[in-house]
Amino acid sequence: MKKFAHLAIPYIAWAAMMLIFPVLLMFLYSFTEHGNSIISFSFTLEHYIKFFSDSDFLLILWRSFGIAVKTTIICLVLGYPIAYFISRSKESIQNILVLCITVPTWINMLVRTYAWIGLLSDGGLFQQIFGFFGFDEVSLLYTEGSVLLGMVYNFLPFMILQINTSLCKMDQSLLNASADLGARPRETFLKVTLPLSLPGVINGITLVFLPAISAFFIPKLLGGGQYFLIGNLIENQFITVGEWNFGSAISMIMAVVMMVLMMAVKKVEVRNNGGKEDE
Amino acid sequence: MKKEKRTFGKVLIGLAIAFFYLPIVYMIIFSFNEGKSLTSFSGFSLRWYQHMLESRDMMSALYTTFSVALLATFISTVAGTIAAIGLSKSKKIVRDVMEQVNNFPIMNPDIVTAIGFMLLFITFKVERGYITMLLAHIAFCIPYVMLSVMPKVRSLDPNLADAAMDLGATPWVALTKVIVPQITPGIFSGALIAFTMSVDDFIISYFVTGGGVKNLSIMVYTMSKRVNPSINAVSTLVVLIITVALIIINVVPAILAKRPKKTEMKKSKAAVFVPVGIVAAVAVVLVAVFGRTPAGSGLPYAGQTLYIYLPGEYMGEEIIPTFEDQTGDTVIVENFDSNEQMYIKVTNGESYDIIIPSDYMIERLLQEGYLQKLDQSLLTCWDELNPVVMAQPYDPNNEYCVSYFWGTVGIVYDKTVVDEADLEEQGFGIFLNEKYKGDIYLYDSERDSFMMALKDLGYSMNTESEEELNEAYEWLVQCVTTMEPEIVTDEIIDNMAQGRKALGLCYSGDATYIMSENENMGFYMPEEGTNLWYDSMVIPKNAESIELAHEFMNYINSYDAAYDNSDWVGYTSPNVAVMEALSSEEEEGSYAGINAYLPRTDHPMDEVFVFNAETKKTLGNLWSKVKIAASNAN
Repeated sequence: MKKFAHLAIPYIAWAAMMLIFPVLLMFLYSFTEHGNSIISFSFTLEHYIKFFSDSDFLLILWRSFGIAVKTTIICLVLGYPIAYFISRSKESIQNILVLCITVPTWINMLVRTYAWIGLLSDGGLFQQIFGFFGFDEVSLLYTEGSVLLGMVYNFLPFMILQINTSLCKMDQSLLNASADLGARPRETFLKVTLPLSLPGVINGITLVFLPAISAFFIPKLLGGGQYFLIGNLIENQFITVGEWNFGSAISMIMAVVMMVLMMAVKKVEVRNNGGKEDE
Repeated sequence: MKKEKRTFGKVLIGLAIAFFYLPIVYMIIFSFNEGKSLTSFSGFSLRWYQHMLESRDMMSALYTTFSVALLATFISTVAGTIAAIGLSKSKKIVRDVMEQVNNFPIMNPDIVTAIGFMLLFITFKVERGYITMLLAHIAFCIPYVMLSVMPKVRSLDPNLADAAMDLGATPWVALTKVIVPQITPGIFSGALIAFTMSVDDFIISYFVTGGGVKNLSIMVYTMSKRVNPSINAVSTLVVLIITVALIIINVVPAILAKRPKKTEMKKSKAAVFVPVGIVAAVAVVLVAVFGRTPAGSGLPYAGQTLYIYLPGEYMGEEIIPTFEDQTGDTVIVENFDSNEQMYIKVTNGESYDIIIPSDYMIERLLQEGYLQKLDQSLLTCWDELNPVVMAQPYDPNNEYCVSYFWGTVGIVYDKTVVDEADLEEQGFGIFLNEKYKGDIYLYDSERDSFMMALKDLGYSMNTESEEELNEAYEWLVQCVTTMEPEIVTDEIIDNMAQGRKALGLCYSGDATYIMSENENMGFYMPEEGTNLWYDSMVIPKNAESIELAHEFMNYINSYDAAYDNSDWVGYTSPNVAVMEALSSEEEEGSYAGINAYLPRTDHPMDEVFVFNAETKKTLGNLWSKVKIAASNAN
């Protein structure tokens, strides 16, 4: 089996070029003084100090973190049962269901988000439905609710796909064995199905949480300019203000926070795998 | 109990599908809307389909989107799967490091990845275009594939492949016949996600592309003036093709024969990519059928290409086709969403023949040496132009720029709600009047917001005084914390045209459109003065078709073209005769009686924005702070 290890070499070379090199550039920028040139490199910690010494920046980092956590939890709570029931349906319609959930994502995200603006705007479909039940004049757009809705709408398919992948090829004989040994369905689910689907859950969390924390277009369109998250701050620094150095520093800080988080998540996964091998 | 569960499952899946398709249905309905609004349906029409089919840009964007997505998905799926299998057998340290590296594009904000890729291609002097876009897409898609494949590879029995090889299989056979079939679900979902990512991406694509190559998301992203509903028509077309293809693939084989179970997976894979392939193919056909072939060689500029870079949805529909017919050249249009976005591309070496930035940005490009002098002997349009748009302080002798559109910034208000006496008395101060709390839009731009605050405080909008800027900052903070404004960008146009709020800060050209759509709306320019702005055409130093660029400048300011252009966009033409015709009652001009169309030129307090690098940064940072204060107030 070790024979296959060399298969990774071309990708490592590719990744060094396409993934590491750009990040390295950004890393250098984050330690460089004003001006968008790293040729005249002069080391400074100013950008990091600027970020950490301003409670406003820390606050929006915290807020972005909060909204990403909420998005992830909602996606998990909705996504797991959906994925579970898809994996329990007939094999012939499983693929169709997966496709049904994926096809909408092939329409550009911006177009779909604009459609949500229409649905949620004053006088739009949702407000009319709310009005029908007596809740007139509830504004739905430009609220935390609308941002969360947009995030969940956009990221939920990834969660469902990942969990479904880990559930659908599960060995049916394991479930039968569990039932034969006297486990009730609930026990089988908790002791067999859930642990085996954990890698999918972790993948799903990765695919929702990481992009959600730095999302900037959904908050901008559905939350308005007054819904300012860390992704908006970074975009603002790169494009409008033109301070790539500070923008890079913020994204480096975020990257470090995420890496630590992902390692923690990994620990959970490894422990779970270890547990499985012990049995 | 089991049955109950099953019903619950069905209901849940049904609801999920309804949730996912609701915006799609909405989009399809609005693709048949007669009006330009994305939120108010005014009647059935096929005009956006016609517009879509006539738009060569849109058809080629459709093709680019799906051909890039398809290629990127295919390549990244194969490469990602191989890499994942390889990595799973590598040393733990290598594996862990690579997993973190793969997370970079997933967790970094897109803009960071985008600038990173752009700098990478610049460093290695790769010309930006289709290939660089494809490379970037492959680069950010592979990690998603690997993420999906990895858990499946890890859960494989490590002895399987060894067993196969012991039994005489070559490594290749062991790989393809033993390992791959076991991990197919992972590969499948990885491919689906990669495809989605490729279709959805806009920022990375925007900064790594060049030469006019663009996909649909770049088009939507840069529709800065207003979103063109034909984007709904294109998306509906995509939905239609995917649906038809899926039905054919899923239904036809079922009718023909029941296939053995083994091929199930292969079939479903085909089910995914065949429709996509069909979309791409249809796009190619449409481009071939509807795309304009370059005009005959008898014309003066046959075979030449003109690259124009301007804000999105900022030019009449017939302008380019007519110009091409007259000159025989091919015009390639690229769009930007803001002057600053344009600045990044231009200063990083992208080459265009004409750029259309705003006044302060022209000043900046000029100061930094990115522009070339115009050849006055080639320009015949000066006589047509309004003297007020010429000889601006940054270009006193008209050596560098020719006007495109111009206007002011003012307050759009609902005449049925807002007391005009309040406007006259308070000017921009009306945005602090709690009578209108919760009923106002601010424009998400530091320049215009600070202009409003500074003017209300009685200062110059070009002040460099820290004290005055801080006062303006406090003014804005007071506004966002007490007035519950919605801070929007161009949604303001549609929203005010629908009369959703009473007051909004708005460009005169957009106000013109709003007022032509909704007669209850008025436009007011405060006595404290406002911002006079000029968007003009310039030729950058690295331009190639210089003669043709001059030809275009003459053409766009000639009566017919200027009339069509201004009529379509709603912004004020620098051509005096056109401006008069469009605003004249006798000639039934589209904008007769609309005061926003005629910018105020004689007011001593009105100013043009002056570029100052330091102040601009300060404003940008202060505006972020204002928005943070607004978030905190919520």
